[in-house]
Amino acid sequence: MNTLLIQRLIPKMPLRYIIRSASTDADVPNFDMENPFEKEKPQCILCKHKIVVDYKNIRLLSQFQSSYTGQIYGRHITGLCKKQQELLETEIKKAQNSGMMGFYTKEPIFLQDPELYDVERPIRPHRF
Amino acid sequence: MIPYELIVLFRVMPKPELTTAIKRTANAIFDRGGLIRKLENLGTRETPYKISSNGMPHRQASYFLYECNIPPSKIGDIINEYSRDVDIIKKDIYKKTIPEQFECTLHEEMQPPPYRKDVQEIMALARRKEKRKFKANTGMDYYPFQK
Repeated sequence: MNTLLIQRLIPKMPLRYIIRSASTDADVPNFDMENPFEKEKPQCILCKHKIVVDYKNIRLLSQFQSSYTGQIYGRHITGLCKKQQELLETEIKKAQNSGMMGFYTKEPIFLQDPELYDVERPIRPHRF
Repeated sequence: MIPYELIVLFRVMPKPELTTAIKRTANAIFDRGGLIRKLENLGTRETPYKISSNGMPHRQASYFLYECNIPPSKIGDIINEYSRDVDIIKKDIYKKTIPEQFECTLHEEMQPPPYRKDVQEIMALARRKEKRKFKANTGMDYYPFQK
């Protein structure tokens, strides 16, 4: 057998799959093994960095707000998961009601903050 | 006692007056059997919107955060006292939330509609609501009468 060829093939697959398939009969492929080529599940930006949304962190909250109307952008624009979007919206409303954040305005110092998503290219088409 | 977060906006005033105002608000909590865990100064700055209180529009305020444990039955009492305070522009009380652990479900939400669970539920509901069609039972494959 060409060992050189095997060496080239092996590193692509995690080691645990190779050991399991070789346990019974070397020639029979293990059909029970999980898909080694499965793609990594996409995560929303807040889940990925494990950010806890807090109503006192106005700088973060205002990144999900329109700089023209102060509208909270929807899930189809922000690209957050359902739970995070729900938490974000409650926290923004808390901040607005306690006089920390504007309803219709964004603080001018936050206008230069980096954009986390593209408003012009939503995941799902706009309603308007 | 439940941990709360109390946000108080004081009107802009000189330091000695502000300290007495803070002491007054803190004593209101202590008098009702509460305790303060943390008192934080969030700074004096311009409010994001004009706030009218005590017959005066306010555009600037001193923000203070109290982390405190208050008996829930006394909260209305405390809010009532603060609303009568001349130095307080705005106050808000929230339960201190403990961040819960949850899995990101974005990969499920990114799927095309028929694969999404919430869409499937709606489709099942629509199927259940479908009207039953009347069967004539005439034994014929066409409708024998005039329509």
